Amino acid sequence: MATTTATITLSSSDLLSDELSLATTATLTGAGNSTGLTGTTGLARKKLASGHAQYTLFDGTDYTADKAHKLYLKNTSTTASEYFLITVNAEDVGRLYAGDWALIPWSAHDADNDIKIDPSANDMTLEYMLFTDE
Amino acid sequence: MATTTAAVTLTSDLLSDNISVTTDTTCMKGGTTADGLDQMDMGYIEIATGTNFDLLDADNALNKDKANKVYISNDSTDETYYVIITIDATVVGRLYAGDWMFIPWGAEDATADIEIQAYTGTNKISYAYFHEGRTLTSA
Repeated sequence: MATTTATITLSSSDLLSDELSLATTATLTGAGNSTGLTGTTGLARKKLASGHAQYTLFDGTDYTADKAHKLYLKNTSTTASEYFLITVNAEDVGRLYAGDWALIPWSAHDADNDIKIDPSANDMTLEYMLFTDE
Repeated sequence: MATTTAAVTLTSDLLSDNISVTTDTTCMKGGTTADGLDQMDMGYIEIATGTNFDLLDADNALNKDKANKVYISNDSTDETYYVIITIDATVVGRLYAGDWMFIPWGAEDATADIEIQAYTGTNKISYAYFHEGRTLTSA
């Protein structure tokens, strides 16, 4: 069985009067079981060279519904004002600004629940990796 | 300004070459490198099954289309326990026992709340919300 882990560390010495230091590690397993996730796209990059059009990164019909898929995203831009708007189906999740990353649980709940990205400028690059539960 | 750092490491032996991705970001206010997110809410709750709850309320003008960040961890230990995370009426995904998530949240309109519903049993949830402001309800 493959083993995939995700570790997050959130830290700040000046947001609160006490130091913030939060770290946790998840071993990514299938829905309702302890078997490691079985698939991945591997780490990939997408450069949206022209236009600001919304782009479907992952199509909900291509993945088994109601599973424990995990999606990693990173905006590689170094221009602070540039962001990707992340959308599931027609619902905006949020803006991934330059340098920001996200780890999103994605259940591909139904065929319309695509993961879509919309860059705020031309020539932006998104780094991504999907771990799938098939 | 406050400096808050979010770092992630992903490792896997799914491929014939090992995956090892590490990155971090300083949580800034939207569109700037001069000012970090300087407000946060943090909590721990136990959520019973049967009802879809608002975990974070989008109904204010201070966080709309900002660079807010949301961390949610399912601290349950039974592998069959999970919560479904929804924004408005759209299911984003399932967070199973032991899983965590870290997402940007734009709170794009008054109904774009982050909602959570527990399944199988009472789920134990930790969360942190880094943001630019939250409107308090008048007493």
